Amino acid sequence: MRKPPPSWLLSVPPLLYLLALFALPGLLMLLVAFRLPGDYGGLMPLWSDEDGALTVNLTLENFTRLVEDDIYLKLLASSLLYALLTTALCLVLGYPLAWMIARSRRRWRDLLLLLVILPFWSNFLIRIYAWMIILSPVGALSRGLNALLEMLGLGPVQLMFSPTAVIICLVYVHLPFMVLPLYANLEKHDPALLEAARDLGASAWQRFWRITAPLSLPGVLAGSALVFIPSFSMFAIPDLVGGTGGIMIGNVIKQQFLEARDWPFGSALSITVTLVVLALAALAAAAARRGVRHA
Amino acid sequence: MPRLLIALGVALYAFLYAPLVVVVAYSFNDSRVNAEWVGFTLKWYEQLLTDASMLTAAANSLFIALASSALATLLGTLAALALAQRRRQPLLKFLTLAPVAVPDILLGVSLLMLFVLLNLSLGMLSITLAHTVFSIGFVMVAVQARLAGLDPALLEAARDLGATPWQAFRRVTLPLILPGVVAGALMAFTLSIDDFVVTFFTAGVDSPTLPLQIYAMLKTSVTPKVNAISTLLMLLTLSLILLAHRLSPGALRAR
Amino acid sequence: MKKWLLPLALLLSLPAQAADVLHLYNWNDYIAPETIERFERECGCKVNQSYFSDAEEMLAKLAAGAKGYDVMVPSTEILGALIKQGALMPLDKNQLPNIVNMDPAYMNIPEDPGNRYTVPYAIGTTLIGYNEQKLKELGITADSWALIFEPEILAKIKGKVTVLDSPRELIGAALIYLGYSVNTTDREQWKQAAALIARAKPYWAAFNASSYIKELATGSIWVAHGYSMDLYQARVDAEQAGRDFSIGFVLPKEGANIGMDHMAISAHAPRPDLAHKFINFMMDGRNASELTNMIGNGNPNRAARPYIRPELLEIEALFPSPELQKRLQVLEEFPTAKDRRDFNKLWTELKLR
Repeated sequence: MRKPPPSWLLSVPPLLYLLALFALPGLLMLLVAFRLPGDYGGLMPLWSDEDGALTVNLTLENFTRLVEDDIYLKLLASSLLYALLTTALCLVLGYPLAWMIARSRRRWRDLLLLLVILPFWSNFLIRIYAWMIILSPVGALSRGLNALLEMLGLGPVQLMFSPTAVIICLVYVHLPFMVLPLYANLEKHDPALLEAARDLGASAWQRFWRITAPLSLPGVLAGSALVFIPSFSMFAIPDLVGGTGGIMIGNVIKQQFLEARDWPFGSALSITVTLVVLALAALAAAAARRGVRHA
Repeated sequence: MPRLLIALGVALYAFLYAPLVVVVAYSFNDSRVNAEWVGFTLKWYEQLLTDASMLTAAANSLFIALASSALATLLGTLAALALAQRRRQPLLKFLTLAPVAVPDILLGVSLLMLFVLLNLSLGMLSITLAHTVFSIGFVMVAVQARLAGLDPALLEAARDLGATPWQAFRRVTLPLILPGVVAGALMAFTLSIDDFVVTFFTAGVDSPTLPLQIYAMLKTSVTPKVNAISTLLMLLTLSLILLAHRLSPGALRAR
Repeated sequence: MKKWLLPLALLLSLPAQAADVLHLYNWNDYIAPETIERFERECGCKVNQSYFSDAEEMLAKLAAGAKGYDVMVPSTEILGALIKQGALMPLDKNQLPNIVNMDPAYMNIPEDPGNRYTVPYAIGTTLIGYNEQKLKELGITADSWALIFEPEILAKIKGKVTVLDSPRELIGAALIYLGYSVNTTDREQWKQAAALIARAKPYWAAFNASSYIKELATGSIWVAHGYSMDLYQARVDAEQAGRDFSIGFVLPKEGANIGMDHMAISAHAPRPDLAHKFINFMMDGRNASELTNMIGNGNPNRAARPYIRPELLEIEALFPSPELQKRLQVLEEFPTAKDRRDFNKLWTELKLR
């Protein structure tokens, strides 16, 4: 029997690509995180020579600053909350959608899947602007909702410029990244398994929890990772629809590069966020796998 | 299929398409203010056809999205296959997923610094290379989700029957993982065609993309011309996909 | 039909490769199309524009090493950094005879003494725009920063106010309201301004950088802290849409910030010759006037005045009288990185609170 290509051969091209175009610039930025911002933007020179006394301008300050005061930790926590809520909502909405597409007639499947991603080929900003029109206080949705609330004797709500608007838009822009990997996974499930279970008298609920759910776990994990990881450092949506309440860690990172001219602190924040997010995602995946094994 | 599920599905498509209806409808709206319906007009489309910079930007965006999603799909699929053969490759896992987690601004700035160091002139190539960096992870994850739980016996059987590794891949593995690959490619394409931040930093003087043009309008005014070009770009991409689908039907499902 | 029309249009529109190209790094919609066409005809070259949507974006991109631009249009607040980083080329005044057209009131600013590197391009003030009818109904006068800072007034317009998503502008407005300089680095004065903002924040709908033009023009919000050109745009939009209300804007009596954009040549400009030609061309009165007639910016060019629509010249917020000019302050760079760092931390805390 012939041997399959060894795994290192498969991993060499992506590894080389990412080492050159991600790890290398990443190391540059890691170094930046230990430097000081220059007085006129950019960076302070690595060493300065004043009256013959050589000083090396390296510091841990950018990392200690993160913890010396609780505002950045609070921001990390609130961003985590936003990202988790977004992931949970995308899963609740995306799972039935992916399942429905995977179970529909073959000739409809491609079209239904394509229809999920099609809106995302318009422009991001234009879609968010469309949501701003939909959620606007002078729009039909707000007026209708508030008329309903008034009939129920409740006060009016504001949709636009609120954390609710942030969540709606976050869920909206990330939904396809949940549906697509989930679909790729659900599509291969063998319907014969479910039929067999039904013949053995399992209820629909049992069939779902005992067979479909565990089998689709890799799809759920994949979709959740692709929603959770990027949504954590999002800044455009809170900027546009968040109002005075919705701010995420991504906004503060953007601010370091595009307002404060403080690249070192921006790098330190970014690196921290990246490591925290990846660690959380890995922990969650490990816990979910263990949970299923024990179920 | 349960009726409830179908109703839910319809509702979800309505959620996905509500803003799109607004986008398309407003491209025919006779008001510069993109805020409420005034009357029907085709003037934004007429303006668009004479706006060379907007059309060039759309063509650039499409080209970059096609190139970077093709490259990312290749590299991401290889990574997923490598991880399927041997799970313990922490470096590969980290390098594919970290670009997804890193804030866009850091990625953009660091790539720009690298390209400047390497003396690579900024333009279509630098943007394409940059987009591929963050797309690889998406493809890898989608293909992995598909690969999980696939029966390795199938592959072994193919080889036992005398297939070369390439034949085994072409005839057995690829058809099996294809829905994952296509899902990954679609995501990579979407990410690229929509990216602003990384593109802003890695673009040169002669390579405007559509998001660059549109974000630049933020400060002054986003006119319905943008809705018009969005609508056209969506139609064009859709027709490209449908054409590809005509040429190779059933690409989205396992055979 | 559109399906095949678009690729065809795309093919036809690919830019012809002209030998002489001027690369202009500018805001979008910040030069009139007819001005560009006239310049292209006059110099026999092509103008290729790249856009940025924020001056800081441009600074970050240049600081990371991007090159290839000839003429750039930076705002005052990044001039100091650009000059000190050596990103700009000194201007050759011999090639700029039209410089005599410029209004001395806007020349020789502290960031660029003697205009060695830059000449002013456009000016604007930061002020308050409002829905005239709504405020009249509520009996509110709009001549003071109290409109966005005092809770007694804000209580009547809660959730209908947006302020600029910019620490220098917003904290600056608070400092002006308190009677301080916008460029102060006195931490006690900063603290007072922050307290003022923290007190007013619950009444505001959003920190907004861009969409307030639309929100004002549709009536979703009634009061916006914003730039004069944008507020002028909102007024025009509301008029054109035939609203039953109109948008007003005034310079608050306590004073306001004046912002300027400038023309400068990149230190790495591939074509300094074309760049000088372009800058001189843009200082011609008629050419300079076209931008103002298009977007309603204040114009630092005296020779442009005869060409500017008279109704624009009457708007004090766009063309402040010498009397008013005394109440305007220019945002300057903070002296040290430490000041900038502390200031931004203050801002992050304010936003988070």
